[in-house]
Amino acid sequence: MQEEKTNSMPWRYFRQNVFFTCVRASALVITLALGGIIFYIIYNGISVISWDFITQPPTDAMTKGGIMPAILGTIYLTLGAIAIGLPLGIASAIYLTEYAREGRVIRLIRIGINCLAGVPSVVFGLFGLGIFVIFLKFGSSILSGSLTLGFLILPTIIGASEEALKSVPQTFREASLSLGVSKWQTIYRIVLPNALPGILTGSILGIGRAAGETAPIMFTAAAFFTAKLPSSIFDEVMALPYHIYVLATAGTNIEATRPIQYGTVLVLVAVVLGIDLIAIIIRGYMRRNKRW
Amino acid sequence: MSTDMIKINNVNFYYGPTRALTDISMTFGKNKVTALIGPSGCGKSTLLRLLNRMNDLIDGTRVEGEIIFEDRNIYAPDVDPVEIRRKIGMVFQKPNPFPKTIYNNISYGPKLTGMGAQNMDDLVEQSLRQAVLWDEVKDILNKSAMNLSGGQQQRLCIARALAMKPDVLLMDEPTSALDPISTAKIEELIEELKKNYTIIIVTHNMQQAARISDETAFFYMGNLIEYNKTEKIFTNPDVKQTEDYITGRFG
Repeated sequence: MQEEKTNSMPWRYFRQNVFFTCVRASALVITLALGGIIFYIIYNGISVISWDFITQPPTDAMTKGGIMPAILGTIYLTLGAIAIGLPLGIASAIYLTEYAREGRVIRLIRIGINCLAGVPSVVFGLFGLGIFVIFLKFGSSILSGSLTLGFLILPTIIGASEEALKSVPQTFREASLSLGVSKWQTIYRIVLPNALPGILTGSILGIGRAAGETAPIMFTAAAFFTAKLPSSIFDEVMALPYHIYVLATAGTNIEATRPIQYGTVLVLVAVVLGIDLIAIIIRGYMRRNKRW
Repeated sequence: MSTDMIKINNVNFYYGPTRALTDISMTFGKNKVTALIGPSGCGKSTLLRLLNRMNDLIDGTRVEGEIIFEDRNIYAPDVDPVEIRRKIGMVFQKPNPFPKTIYNNISYGPKLTGMGAQNMDDLVEQSLRQAVLWDEVKDILNKSAMNLSGGQQQRLCIARALAMKPDVLLMDEPTSALDPISTAKIEELIEELKKNYTIIIVTHNMQQAARISDETAFFYMGNLIEYNKTEKIFTNPDVKQTEDYITGRFG
């Protein structure tokens, strides 16, 4: 018996080493994949990046020139999606966590939200086409696209907001209510300010998704080509993801525009990171003095 | 009976199907300190939270009977619990200041409930003085309350409750999270406050109940076993169970 035990020690170390190696390898693969993608994009796209590329509209049937209308369009659509998704999502989360009493109705709503999160984005696109573009007659426009993207990111924002609201200590609510402050004032003055940094953190994911999605805006907002900049929310816009799709699949000279395609991808990544950065800065500002 | 502040008549309280309080009837005297004692789970905190309708926040609870405050039943359908809580303040077991400045912790309640007519600076100073905290914080009013020590935070919470100028102050084991020196300060403070306020305090600390209260109520398993002058309870209780509890024979 004694001998068997000592004999098994090297074997146990061996298994441990195998396991650690696997875990380390997984982490390495992910890092390499991410690094590889970023390197590949930069390597192929950096050559076309110039001041003109980001400030000029496309020319020569989109084989030359810049992508400025698409950058602007993506920024408009993303801001529009935030403007619609964030208030609606936060309001829903407040209802679910602060007002609703647990029961069958709430369970159904939660299931609904989870299902919404699993709906393919092209379905959102068709939904937006049917409701906003055709039924409400908004046409293919910033408004229709923002609404569609806003609904697309709702589950993410509701989920993040619910988590953030739940993490505000119950004792804060009790303290406020015990002073004879109403429930709404308690939520507005105590719960929400303390939850906002967390809400933003979670919403960043949704924001990135809104900027990067192609399918939802294909039928609802994105123009194949327009050199004209939008003058109202009822105008069609170019958008980076759709522009990439167009150049890579339906352009007039797909092979010749490869560098432009990669350049556009590079800009899209930069825009998403830029919007995230703004959210992170706002969050950092709100977090000051907020700790418990 | 103008010396009665709150009168409880035949109150039963349920968490879902479980009865937590059985047929409680008692009165709390004006400008008196009443201690509620008893083993954990005996219903004393539940009773305290009934007095300013804090149990409303818990789903699936039910109250029977009536609690009379200012000539009306606070559980009558037309009574707004928010209104009741303005007059019956509460201090909790763990200090729970808001993550705001010291000044804003105090001004929060009065500002939001429309008491801002008077000078807010004066109200803040007066409340902090009442809670014997003013001298320690007068130079750091704009600093976060989270930087204060536990004992200071608890006195801040008392000051915050006092700023609403309540008639009654409910205290739910206010010193159980504090060290002995902070505890002594809070006890001195309670002694001082009872001149102007009616205080009802839940405590697990028998000596504390004996030191600071005028009346003591002993609860066991949701029943009010004995309610008497504190002196009587701790020297010559009427009920055997009370004696067993305070002498440490059970609980």
